[in-house]
Amino acid sequence: MNGQGDIEGGGRSDYRRRIVLRDRIRRLVPWIPAYAFLGLWCAFGLFVILWQILASFKTNRELFLNVWALPSHLQFQNYVKAWSVVKMGNYFMNSIVVVGASVLLILTISTPAAYALTRIPFRGVEFVTNFVIGGMGIPVQMLFIPLFGMLSRLHLADTRTGLILVYTSVSLPFTIFLLTAFFRSLPSELEEAAAIDGASPLVAFVRIMLPLASPGVIGAAIFNFIILWNEYMLALIFISDDSKRTISLGLYALSNSMQYTGDWVGLFAGVVIVMVPTILIFILLSERLISSITLGAVKG
Amino acid sequence: MRRMQKKLILPFLMPALIMYLAFVVYPACRALWVSMLEWPGFNTPARFVGLQNFQRLIHDESYLLALRNTLVIVFVGGAFVFALAFLFSVTIINLGARTRKILRAIIFLPTVIAPIALTTLWGFIYNPRFGLLNSILRTIGLGQLARTWTDRGSIFSAVTAALIWLNTGMYLVLLLAGIDKIPLDFYDAARIDGANSFQMFRHVTIPLLWDVLGVGVILWGISALKVFEFPYAFCGIWAPRELWTLAIYLVVMGFGKREPIFQLGYAAAIGVTMLLLVIVFVLVARRVLRREAVEY
Repeated sequence: MNGQGDIEGGGRSDYRRRIVLRDRIRRLVPWIPAYAFLGLWCAFGLFVILWQILASFKTNRELFLNVWALPSHLQFQNYVKAWSVVKMGNYFMNSIVVVGASVLLILTISTPAAYALTRIPFRGVEFVTNFVIGGMGIPVQMLFIPLFGMLSRLHLADTRTGLILVYTSVSLPFTIFLLTAFFRSLPSELEEAAAIDGASPLVAFVRIMLPLASPGVIGAAIFNFIILWNEYMLALIFISDDSKRTISLGLYALSNSMQYTGDWVGLFAGVVIVMVPTILIFILLSERLISSITLGAVKG
Repeated sequence: MRRMQKKLILPFLMPALIMYLAFVVYPACRALWVSMLEWPGFNTPARFVGLQNFQRLIHDESYLLALRNTLVIVFVGGAFVFALAFLFSVTIINLGARTRKILRAIIFLPTVIAPIALTTLWGFIYNPRFGLLNSILRTIGLGQLARTWTDRGSIFSAVTAALIWLNTGMYLVLLLAGIDKIPLDFYDAARIDGANSFQMFRHVTIPLLWDVLGVGVILWGISALKVFEFPYAFCGIWAPRELWTLAIYLVVMGFGKREPIFQLGYAAAIGVTMLLLVIVFVLVARRVLRREAVEY
């Protein structure tokens, strides 16, 4: 820090390197407790998740005898039981259908809307944008009672279609928030270049903007998939038929029945079945997901 | 070109607007109306009672407890979430790019796991007989601190701690992205001026991160004010009253099978107060955070 000026000129690079190193170490020393804490935090997170996966391969007896021991044999029947007897397999398929359809619908609706709100200037565009994004502030529970009545009147109560409709609608504000941030980050000359080439605006959107927007759209798709796959609150309110349960709602029911069955390892197998898809997606696509979430908050 | 582009506005916007108006805005407005009704069930007639539901809320001990719990999560929980996110972001940022990405992913991981799955996990961590927490305490010789973490007196603190754990990653990721955007020259300049790490944090990082922090605080407020899934599932079918948040109380009154008579108007009134809290929170946060913003 001090005396850096007089080294700058000379060629005493070795001396300089030592100074830089000493400087760096001196700066890092007060941080040691912080790094230790960071390490502990990460170790704890990984440990509890791995522990739960290992525990799901034990027998209940083994689990209670010693919660820390490794399973003596991998009890795959925990999974077989969870998948077929507790019907997690059924719920899994329901979630694939409901969440898949919702994500598709959300993006089909949000992408053109976000495009129109960012790339086509029109009067009131700011008002409409704020009006839609402001929906992020509406606590979703406030909608439960009116929505429940509406779905009954539409004969969509307790149906997967009704749940898809609810999932799609309540996901629009945040998705449009993410996508408008993404469209704004694209250079503005693109449509003009397309227009000079004689492309109609619709063609320009499909041929030029959509491919360019695909990282943002994929990011939003991953985000919505994870959120909807994980949620059980809306499913709890709008689905009562056991055969239509989504996977997270199924796990909620399973964890409630735990009080009577005491089958912890079975419950852990169910937990792993719920966790695996989102963790896999995260491992494969975390960069895409994180950059699309942060784009809206961090204006470039 | 512009005129041709304008033809796209309606077909591009309409599907989103129709869905949003029909299934978000309309029900929200209708909830305002329902909050002024006495309505014991979907198939029974409702009676207009004006603001009586709100008058009842003020004297309802369960409501006040749920309100207190929610505010503790928002403010105390929020203080921890942001303090931890800050601490981790300024430590992680000094590491190599690879390590940084891996640590960020590990801390973010709970965010992508279903809250209901984490509920089970934390139920086991807090388990008094063979839970992780008590086992660790016994192993490191602090066995006398081992206790029941989920009795009525401490269950809410236990759940709040878990909520802090599972939310920190999201805000860490936001802050990290913000810090990444700060030009390195600022730090070099500060270092040449003789600033230490804390001074650099206080005078470079914080002011330049102010906008991101503002967005983060608002996102936290909106999501924490409606927190439901993790605490609701924490204690089986009947979460004890000590754990109720406003969202849980709303569901209990509107849909819970605790009482045979539903109180739809009353539940809607709870929802309206939640919306008011969000509005107040966002307005105050914007006012407080608007100062000090630095352009660069």
